[in-house]
Amino acid sequence: MADKLNAQKSVKIAAGAVVCVESEIRGDVTIGPRTVVHPKARIIAEAGPIVIGEGNLIEEQALIINSYPENITPDSEVEPKTMTIGTNNVFEVGCVSQALKIGDNNVIESKADVGRNVILTSGCIIGAFCQVNTCEVIPENTVIYGSGCMRRVQTERPQPQTLQLDFLMKILPNYHHLKKTIKASQTTS
Amino acid sequence: MASLLHPDRVLYLVRGQKRIRAPLSQLYFCRYCSELRSLECVSHEVDSHYCPSCLENMPSAEAKLKKNRCANCFDCPCCMHTLSTRATNIPAPLPDDPTKTTMKKAYYLACGFCRWTSRDVGMADKSVASGGWQEPENPHGQRISKLIEYYQQLAHREKQERDRKKLARRRQCMPLAFSQHTIHVVEKYGLGTRLHRQRPGAPIASLTGLSLKEGEDQKEVTIEPAQALDEVEPLPEDCYSRPVSLPEVTTLRQRLLQPDFQPAGASQLHPRHKHLLMKRSLRCRKCEHNLSKPEFNPTSIKFKIQLVAVSYIPEVRIMSIPNLRYMKESQVLLTLTNPVENITHVTLAVCEDDDPDDVNSTSKVLVPSKELVLAGKDAAAEYDELAEPQDFQDDPDIVAFRKSNKIGFFIKVVPLKEEDTDVTVSFRMRHDFRNLAAPIRPSEEGGDAAHEAVWLTHHVELRLGPLAP
Repeated sequence: MADKLNAQKSVKIAAGAVVCVESEIRGDVTIGPRTVVHPKARIIAEAGPIVIGEGNLIEEQALIINSYPENITPDSEVEPKTMTIGTNNVFEVGCVSQALKIGDNNVIESKADVGRNVILTSGCIIGAFCQVNTCEVIPENTVIYGSGCMRRVQTERPQPQTLQLDFLMKILPNYHHLKKTIKASQTTS
Repeated sequence: MASLLHPDRVLYLVRGQKRIRAPLSQLYFCRYCSELRSLECVSHEVDSHYCPSCLENMPSAEAKLKKNRCANCFDCPCCMHTLSTRATNIPAPLPDDPTKTTMKKAYYLACGFCRWTSRDVGMADKSVASGGWQEPENPHGQRISKLIEYYQQLAHREKQERDRKKLARRRQCMPLAFSQHTIHVVEKYGLGTRLHRQRPGAPIASLTGLSLKEGEDQKEVTIEPAQALDEVEPLPEDCYSRPVSLPEVTTLRQRLLQPDFQPAGASQLHPRHKHLLMKRSLRCRKCEHNLSKPEFNPTSIKFKIQLVAVSYIPEVRIMSIPNLRYMKESQVLLTLTNPVENITHVTLAVCEDDDPDDVNSTSKVLVPSKELVLAGKDAAAEYDELAEPQDFQDDPDIVAFRKSNKIGFFIKVVPLKEEDTDVTVSFRMRHDFRNLAAPIRPSEEGGDAAHEAVWLTHHVELRLGPLAP
């Protein structure tokens, strides 16, 4: 039983993902293929597992954390909620994301702060240094920008950063050690 | 504490038409009048126009034609940031062979801040990187230009009538030839370029600058009066019941930045050309000397003439404040910096009881009575190892430290008001100023005559912060 719990709390990195050793990944985290995690990125699954999809770009000093809500102490019984992150998202440098559900093609720009009760659908862009901690579902293709967190809807979703991902997957292994990936067919005992 | 060095803490009084209190860094010093000047006591003149993003210079005539807007740069209609041109590759059929497709570059405008693109308003991608973007035309443009033409003619005709009346009093000569002469005369007396003041009886005086040339035949321009309509377009039926979709409605600011159209919907917000900024030169109103003249080149931030106050007047700055208590004397440490290269003597004096300038102070201050001597600013001092430090006999009760051209000195402050406002202190500073710009009059004995020192007095106000709780 203890083994199973420990095994569940491990980090599962799919083949094809590039995760640098200097990144800090704690708890039960699953990372999909073609995702790049830069050094000094932090993915912390405290209050539940985190599942990250494909083609995501998590830059330096980004913090993706599934933490306990503020008014609940860690000792009491809380059902662990899974944080799901879709495909082709970009978490720029220094951003903090606690949103439980993130769709596809979103961009969270530098030093943005996304709260726990926000649900990002797809194509959303949270601008630099914008703090979004409302309790809502952000509609598709919304751009939040400016010091007053103004909003507007754009007509097309942001393009997936395929060029950047390809470049990084080639270059990062030249300068950093990578965490070991787990073959998809292999199951933990 | 960095907040002690904030420029707003120390204000100098400027005795101009209005009494203005401003930090020394925002003031100018006219060394011909030997007085401080603020932005409100100088006349501002436009030097040159330039675009803030492409830094392109534009002569004033061209700027007027283009309505003070840059030809190449655009502003985002959504967030007013500068738009950048981006390129995409689109497959397009070759002109020779319609079956094969080749990648052609298509350009569109995009904003890096709010992610607005020109495709959002339906503007098609252009094949040229710059110069392909057109602003939409003003629907009332023709009517407005016709009205302007008509009124220009009217102003011109009125001016000619005035000239004719003046001539009829003087002599009987050819009115046309002489009206050219009188136009210059009128412009010299009435409509001077620098001292442009609107005369009360000439409301259309500003349009005469745009008048047609003298010899041209003036075609009669007629305008139709505006017609008032009885029927107005009715409001749509669901005007009150339709829910407002906020992302589609433009904000007031976005709307008013385009006064030609004032679109209500975000899908009609077209980008506008970027406004030009201008470089201005400042001139003292009393002696007409230039106080500040920037370089012509937009890429250069230097000045040809820069008579700023910080390079002539010693600057007082607050260094440390102890806890201030009501009716208790405390010592405040201030610094004085000497901006000029020769030794400056500074005397501080308390404001008299009935000083008209002493409005804001809320405390009593005791300043050192002895004269403070400041060493000159020597740029090479740090490299010159053999230089002996100058020996000033400093009273340790008054002078706390001395460092090249700066000294720290103590003043004693007694807050007199117990209210919640900041403790403010004012005193008068008297220092000697040597006008290096004025020519040295050769003295009768021969040899170099030193510049005469003029003693200037300034009224300085310090804001020390709230009383300690």
